[in-house]
Amino acid sequence: MLGAQCHAVRVRLTGPPVPDRTLAERLSAAGPWRLWVDDVPAGAAEPLAERRLDAEMRRPAAGVRCVLLRYADGEADLVVVADRDRLDRGGLGALTAMLAGTRPAGPCPAPEADRVARPAEGPAPDWGRGEPGSSRHGTYHLDLPQEPGGGPGLLTAALALTLSRYDGHGATEGVTVAGPGGIAREITVDPAATLADLRARCESAPVRVDRPVTAGLLDGSGPDGPAGDDYLPLLAPAFPLTTVLVPLPDGGSRLWFSYLRSHFSPEAVEQFARHLARVYALSARAPQSLVGDADLLDPAERDRIARLGRPHGDVAAAGISLLDAFRRAVSATPDAVAVSDGDVSLTYRELDDRGTLLAAGLRAHGVRHGDRVGVCLERTVELVVTMLGVLKAGAAYVPTDPAYPVDRLAWTASDAGLRVVVTRLPEFPRGDGTTALTPGGLLEAAPDRPSAPEVAPGPDDPAYVIYTSGSTGRPKGVVVPHGNVVSLIAATRDPYRLGPGDVWTLFHSGAFDFSVWEIWGCLLTGGRLVVVPYFVSRDPEEFRDLLVAEQVTVLSQTPSAFSQLLRVDHAGLPVRLVVFGGEPLDSRMLLPWFDRHPEDTCRMVNMFGITETTVHVTAQTVTRELALAGSRSVGPALPGWHLYVTDTHGRPVPPGVTGEICVGGAGVAGGYLGRPDLTAQRFVTDPVTGGRMYRSGDLGRLLPDGRLEHLGRIDSQVKIRGFRIELDEIRSVLLEDPGVRAAAVVVRRDDPDDPAAARLDAYVVPAEGLADLPGIRKRSAGLLPGHMVPSTVTAVDALPLTTNGKLDTARLPAPSRSSAAPRQPAAGSGAAAGLPEALLEIWATVLGTPVGLDDDFFELGGNSLFAVRVSAALRARDLPSLPLRDLYRTPTIRALTEGV
Amino acid sequence: MRLKGKTVVVTGAARGLGRATAVACAAEGADLMLLDLCADLPEVPYPLGTAGQLAHTAALCRKEGSAVATAECDVRDLRSVEAAISRAEDRFGRIDAVVNNAGIAAPSGKPAHEIGEDEWALMIDVDLSGAWRVIRTVGKAMSARRSGSIVNIASTAGLVGYRHFAGYVAAKHGLIGLTKAAALDYAPTKVRVNAVCPGSVRDGTEVEGRMLAEIARALDVPVSEHEQAFVEAQPMNALIEPEDVAAAVVFLVSDDSRQVTGSVMTVDGGFTAR
Repeated sequence: MLGAQCHAVRVRLTGPPVPDRTLAERLSAAGPWRLWVDDVPAGAAEPLAERRLDAEMRRPAAGVRCVLLRYADGEADLVVVADRDRLDRGGLGALTAMLAGTRPAGPCPAPEADRVARPAEGPAPDWGRGEPGSSRHGTYHLDLPQEPGGGPGLLTAALALTLSRYDGHGATEGVTVAGPGGIAREITVDPAATLADLRARCESAPVRVDRPVTAGLLDGSGPDGPAGDDYLPLLAPAFPLTTVLVPLPDGGSRLWFSYLRSHFSPEAVEQFARHLARVYALSARAPQSLVGDADLLDPAERDRIARLGRPHGDVAAAGISLLDAFRRAVSATPDAVAVSDGDVSLTYRELDDRGTLLAAGLRAHGVRHGDRVGVCLERTVELVVTMLGVLKAGAAYVPTDPAYPVDRLAWTASDAGLRVVVTRLPEFPRGDGTTALTPGGLLEAAPDRPSAPEVAPGPDDPAYVIYTSGSTGRPKGVVVPHGNVVSLIAATRDPYRLGPGDVWTLFHSGAFDFSVWEIWGCLLTGGRLVVVPYFVSRDPEEFRDLLVAEQVTVLSQTPSAFSQLLRVDHAGLPVRLVVFGGEPLDSRMLLPWFDRHPEDTCRMVNMFGITETTVHVTAQTVTRELALAGSRSVGPALPGWHLYVTDTHGRPVPPGVTGEICVGGAGVAGGYLGRPDLTAQRFVTDPVTGGRMYRSGDLGRLLPDGRLEHLGRIDSQVKIRGFRIELDEIRSVLLEDPGVRAAAVVVRRDDPDDPAAARLDAYVVPAEGLADLPGIRKRSAGLLPGHMVPSTVTAVDALPLTTNGKLDTARLPAPSRSSAAPRQPAAGSGAAAGLPEALLEIWATVLGTPVGLDDDFFELGGNSLFAVRVSAALRARDLPSLPLRDLYRTPTIRALTEGV
Repeated sequence: MRLKGKTVVVTGAARGLGRATAVACAAEGADLMLLDLCADLPEVPYPLGTAGQLAHTAALCRKEGSAVATAECDVRDLRSVEAAISRAEDRFGRIDAVVNNAGIAAPSGKPAHEIGEDEWALMIDVDLSGAWRVIRTVGKAMSARRSGSIVNIASTAGLVGYRHFAGYVAAKHGLIGLTKAAALDYAPTKVRVNAVCPGSVRDGTEVEGRMLAEIARALDVPVSEHEQAFVEAQPMNALIEPEDVAAAVVFLVSDDSRQVTGSVMTVDGGFTAR
């Protein structure tokens, strides 16, 4: 962009009018430039004149352009636009002074600074929220007071620090910043260093000429020269985000920004500018404070961000137990059907009675208030009765799935300290004093006249303990109190108009907390709960028939289950609300549904949730528009739930910046059963309310409108060669390929000490028969940025899973390479070997793998760093170097050498 | 403001369609380099645009808020074209679009065998080669910038024949050929070349046009009779207004037409549709 080299100044000509000819003479004395005169048919203060002036100021010049704008009221402006190569800020000031007659005419001083280097354009950062494809650019500025020791050096350090914070959670590698002169340096932002150290380090940081640059600064300093509103330091960004520090006459400075709209929104730049200015001031005033202690946010902004994460403000806690809430539903519609399973159904009153009876049976077996009772039953009416009975006995239920391996059942029973387990599983492990009882047996064991429980459970008493698998270690029991569930239903009842007319499914295992939502969402709002037997839940045609037969209105689904349903004819479904949970939703998959079920007949709601915060946290109504845009938003927090996104130090990050999702408010669980250390680590103090807050270990961004973007687990994000890479994103692109049924992506570092050796390996399970592996890779290369394209794609029959159902990377095979057999160098090769032979040898050495003439450099694991090494090796042998560009165009040795 | 920030060069801008086009571009936010010969040619039997008319077009454009520069330019002379384009680049930094509007309608009004060698050469030199000289001058820089729009003002005479206008018809047919070939030349670099074919355009007083009057004179019929004949010949039974043609040009200059190249857009009330 031509304007990236240019700056502009305006001078209002005052005093007696100077003839054009005099101006032209003064101009030609200063340099080989001509004067353009343009009449503006409006007074200087009129909008048309202002528009003309603004356009003239922003019009780049190849060298120096001087335009005299003569207004209708006799006023006149001189506009000088100059390439920084021809005139620097001082030169521009000298020229305008000569033209205005306040300095004797003569040659303009030559610029002091060298030509600005132009590194490659860096990628658009996630936080920038730009408009991809836009060719526009924007400007922004804010004025800073005079700071001791201020200047471009300090600004470079402040820019590095601010960028590293914006880079987001866990960004440990250095940030690349272009400093004065456009020289890109890789600056390591060490939190333990002082701000003064960081500044000193910036000057000696390693230069990275081949590194793309997203943000940098130009030197606008120097005491003399134009300043303020009459001076535009840049007509287009030199780097996607370029900042210039221009001294102001009052001793302060103007912090000037020019940026690409494709990379940044005006709001994002404004926010970044505010934080940069804050860090700059801090670095000047408290140079001995630690980098890690620098806080981008002031208290007011922190409050504002906190409010953003709780858009519904303070919501009073429900303050009652699940049983109290259920009792209200019973008394509202005692004779309505509460739960049904085929021919079996119970009204609310019958369900209540059965629960009371079962509770009596449990008490007869010694179950007391505060106990935990195992529930290991298939989805049946009996399961619901049992859960209710456990609560009525004053205990918390610990659901497990009868399909779990016996070892896991035994482990859970022991970990939860279960003395009583309600199950029909004859093989339920009995040990350590665990008694297994059937629901029928319990009902029979109940005394004839059930008595009220000794102590009715309160809102803070545990209602259930659900075991979740972490990425590491054994499953842990999450203890969830009664009040949390009541709050969840209170938060959703009105927005989703949940009520007695609704028919819900019980689709999910009792051991999966999505069922907590299904059961209590229905039973606390007077709906009818339809049990979906296991085999129906696995057969989309049968499931569809059930939904139609039972006239189900509220359907809760994981996206993967729903995608099965989408494969069968779903036109006649009476569903009015679909709630997604359990997994990230790719909203594009909903388009076929919207074709049959317009938004005004069925609402689609994506809820992001965590077991530790009571099933759900946020809700986003997905529209066709959002689905077409492939929206990743999971929406704002539910009423009563609070969202925070924090950095590694637990501080809130600015809106739009990636950090760890933390959840406070009504849904925070009691902790992990019997794991005080882990509980203390993950359940911390809510910085705003002083209550408790759960650190999720998930990455996200809180958008400026209060909606959350969920970005996956912290541990699935990696950084390769400075690029942050989300493995799930690569995986989802692979999965979109019709030839791929399942996929996994792993990072491999053959040499842990060599960052260039890091490589992405993809594994796919072909949809049918043989996979077109090069085709799959090629397709992903068309959709992903280069640094995210897997180096290898390997077909496997199935992805190896750990017992917790997660990918077992250790059991993946070594990646296959589509490499042809390496050809031997031609006979007689040696010192006089030709270029192809030399390249074969060099590639093989650099890439650490045999190489053939037709092998694709990048498919062999090559990347830009390896390419630089190839160039170095060629130079070392006095062979012609190969431009990187050629390598990208023609990545095989045969094609490369044919072109030489 | 569909042309905000664009610089448009218009040849033959002193009056007529050149003026209408320049003002329409100005109203859409463009800055303008206005070129005209500003002189008469001895072979052309009617007065051509003047420096005063060119200055008036410039004033009309400035009123719309445009930055305007003017220059005298003879499209028959490559060096004159190069100087004018270089001046435009100097003033505006770059050229986003060129409207090749300069052209002459006469000497005409006789059968082909009566056209003199010089008369024939002049018609081709101005109406066809003039546009090519401008394209030759701007094509390289536009290609290098991978952006640009060239609009050639042809005529329905570029699509059908008119009796006693062999030179004009041949030149305008040639201009459409040039449009299509150049469109293919520059398509890889995203530079677009299109033609607009006006039907019979009213000689509006505001634009000081005189095309219809000169054609009538060449055919030796009264202007009103000639206009009437055209109105009856056009399926929509109306003369084309200069603004109608300018609107088509604005579309082709603007990014709205970013996938339109090599096209021939008629603004002729359906005249060539049958």
